[in-house]
Amino acid sequence: MNDLLAGCETAIRLILTADPEVLNITIRTLQITSSSVGISAIFAIPLGAVITFRNFYGKRLLISIIQTLYALPTVIVGLLCYMILSRSGPLGELKWLFTPYGMVFGQTILIIPIMTGLTIAALQGIDPGITDTIRSLGASHLQFLKTHLREARFAIMAAIIVGFSRAISEVGTAVMIGGNIKGHTRVLTTAISLQTSMGNFSLSLALGIILLAIALIINLFMSFLQNR
Amino acid sequence: MNGSFRMCIIVLVLGTILLVGGALAEKVESLGEHNADRLLIATTTSLDATNLLDLLEEKFKEQTGVTVEHVAVGTGQALEIAKNCDADIVMVHDRAAEDKFIDEGYGKDRRVFGYNYFLLVGPEQDPAHVTGLNGTAAFKAIKQAAATDPRVVFVSRGDNSGTHSREKLLWKKAGYDYAEVNASAWYREAGAGMGQTLTMTQELQGYTLTDSASWATYESNLSLVPLVGNDENFLNVYAVMRVNEEKCPDVNTDIAKRWINFMISDEVQDILSTYGVEKNGVPYFNPGRGSADVMGVTVEETSDKVA
Amino acid sequence: MIEIHNITKAFDGNLVVTGVSETIQKGEIFTIIGPSGQGKTTLLRILGLLERPTSGEVLLDGISVTGLPASDPNRRRIGMVFQNPVVFKDSVFHNIAIGLRYRGLPKEEIRKKVLQKLHEIGLSGYEHRNATTLSGGEKQRVSLARVMVTGPDVLILDEPTANLDPVSTEVIEDLIRYYNRVYNTTVILSTHDMIQGQRLADRVAVMMNGRFVQSGTIFTIFTRPCSVDVAKFIGIGNIIPGTIIRNEEGLSVILTHGSLIHAIGTFPVGTKVKIAIRPEEITIHTGPDRFSSARNVIAGTIEKIMPIGIISRVSVKSGDLILLAQVTWQSVRELDLRPGDRVYLSFKVPSVHIMPDEP
Repeated sequence: MNDLLAGCETAIRLILTADPEVLNITIRTLQITSSSVGISAIFAIPLGAVITFRNFYGKRLLISIIQTLYALPTVIVGLLCYMILSRSGPLGELKWLFTPYGMVFGQTILIIPIMTGLTIAALQGIDPGITDTIRSLGASHLQFLKTHLREARFAIMAAIIVGFSRAISEVGTAVMIGGNIKGHTRVLTTAISLQTSMGNFSLSLALGIILLAIALIINLFMSFLQNR
Repeated sequence: MNGSFRMCIIVLVLGTILLVGGALAEKVESLGEHNADRLLIATTTSLDATNLLDLLEEKFKEQTGVTVEHVAVGTGQALEIAKNCDADIVMVHDRAAEDKFIDEGYGKDRRVFGYNYFLLVGPEQDPAHVTGLNGTAAFKAIKQAAATDPRVVFVSRGDNSGTHSREKLLWKKAGYDYAEVNASAWYREAGAGMGQTLTMTQELQGYTLTDSASWATYESNLSLVPLVGNDENFLNVYAVMRVNEEKCPDVNTDIAKRWINFMISDEVQDILSTYGVEKNGVPYFNPGRGSADVMGVTVEETSDKVA
Repeated sequence: MIEIHNITKAFDGNLVVTGVSETIQKGEIFTIIGPSGQGKTTLLRILGLLERPTSGEVLLDGISVTGLPASDPNRRRIGMVFQNPVVFKDSVFHNIAIGLRYRGLPKEEIRKKVLQKLHEIGLSGYEHRNATTLSGGEKQRVSLARVMVTGPDVLILDEPTANLDPVSTEVIEDLIRYYNRVYNTTVILSTHDMIQGQRLADRVAVMMNGRFVQSGTIFTIFTRPCSVDVAKFIGIGNIIPGTIIRNEEGLSVILTHGSLIHAIGTFPVGTKVKIAIRPEEITIHTGPDRFSSARNVIAGTIEKIMPIGIISRVSVKSGDLILLAQVTWQSVRELDLRPGDRVYLSFKVPSVHIMPDEP
């Protein structure tokens, strides 16, 4: 308990004094996470729409696989991406290993299944009467997809929030691909992991509180958007 | 579509661009330069723990303008990363593993730059009575005491680190089969870094092997005490080598060589002789210069500049 | 003009639409009535191009529309309204405007048309309301406006007022008639409420077991149902089995349960038939006096008097024959009818409708 209180104290102190290292880590966390969420959304949402509205052999199997990938351990994703981004791997030429670019790559891969799957769920939850109405109004294929996405926008926004949460809170991928290099690839979660392993519990908790504060701000912003 | 949804999309996209593209003030360093001005070291947590590398990297940058970064993982993982050509330099403390790395053609120009000792730390009451014994005798004592005293517990790194390798060697020298030791009830494999292993050892009030640099970093948080050290069995020698450009053509060979020479330069060796003395009484790492005998290596390995 | 050529539809081997052919004129209001589950919705979905028929085709002004892609201009000439009022999670304005947006109309024109439609459906001022907060009737009006604003030549409605209260129903029916009159839109609608069919339709088809069993004006179907099933559906209260025993002067005489009934028809003697008589056309008399020109008179005893709204149905038993007569409450009072009273039922020859007896 003492650590918890000390953690709260430390968090407030770090925020108020704008501690440079914490600021550095926090901004990098936001940059990496928002990039991966943005890129994921660009892939996942249209992909989810196409899968939902096309009937093909093995569709249910594909959806099952996507949902299974929700449970991908972050370390495994980290390991797989490491093998891909390594100099001796297929994308080694990009030299993204141990850089924030590589971390964005890894996190994007991590959250694409979740965002795709939840987009599919959001679209499948639309009243079939809506689909009939859209079709009977003579929508082109693109208009069909866009209208459905708009109709499901609240659920899709929830999917984005889930993706964001998974990305900002994961350690395994960030540490394997980024290497937790101070001043370069250290983010909130890897810093927390390091401080914990060093026994500095109250600092870890402080960083955790800061992470949650960020998530809270983002969520408030999202719900503000939804209510307009 | 219009209204709040479009606005939301705009915000998301803009936000992404803004945060990705913009570096806010001087407080955020630039993202990922991966060009000739970057050197990446794969090293162990024991070297990282004292922040020695941060200090040396800064000095190197002042002198050469090159940014040096390191990833601190277990020795095993560090060597794997180097084999995959993802690092330019390897700095570890496991002679046998280093030899293998060099023999397989991955490593070149090894130089030994410093040393310290492993320590056997344990609870103050020392139920296995290891105090005063030498290295192998201490391990023997632990095993024998553990057979009858349930309080005696040994915690291992269990992660292929340099420390773990030494620990395995010591069990062997004490005359035991490691597999048997490993399977014993009093033997706990942490599978973690030194900090976490020490924390676990503290909780279990057990014994563990640690390097002195890590110990110096973490000891203030712990109630464990060092019981055995400064034994030739506990000698912990740190070496630096570069990744062979024949195996990894993209390696920054020139800068790597300069780093190695930097590590064995008088300047750095001087730093080592005082680094940590204030807090620790003795340096975290004894300079390798002039200590070839102590470390059991050739003089050339401690002082020959790399061409 | 719409031609329906032998449409069938099977789902997993079950034949739901078993062969429908019909021609619908431009500007007609064509109503399909029938019990639920008989294929009406499926047929309408096929006409609305939401389903493909298993066989057969639909032609719109001579062009086959059955297999057209989504945004073919011919496809866009057909609009559909569904039984459950459907609105998008958006403003009322956006809901109505969506079809116009699909067609790429400029913003100003969209605005004009939407506001005009809002006025037509009586929801002016509702533009910025969230459509999901509307009542069922209001939502259905929006659905109708959403389709009509795109100016379709054909409007298909699948039981559009089935889930609405009577007031909303009336509003919707008025709107349908309005659009049909003002824009000459061809209307195809389905309903299980025969009275609605009566109010709205130019022509009616009765759909049972996946096909049109009878089509024609509502008057024809009411007075001359072609089968017992149709008769039962349209609610003729008296359907009685009998046998033709004589033909004279163009009339058939039918023996039923010991009574003789005269009806118009030329069925061969000995044919087993079912006769249908509307209760409204049977008059009750308390005494054997003048029966005007009614040729059929049956004496019997009142079994039950069942009030329904402002009328009453009186069942009268004569031997094994039970007939339902319909009278106003007033008549019940004036004649002081009570169960057990002996009365005379009279009805004219044309009121009796003969149908072949189906096994």
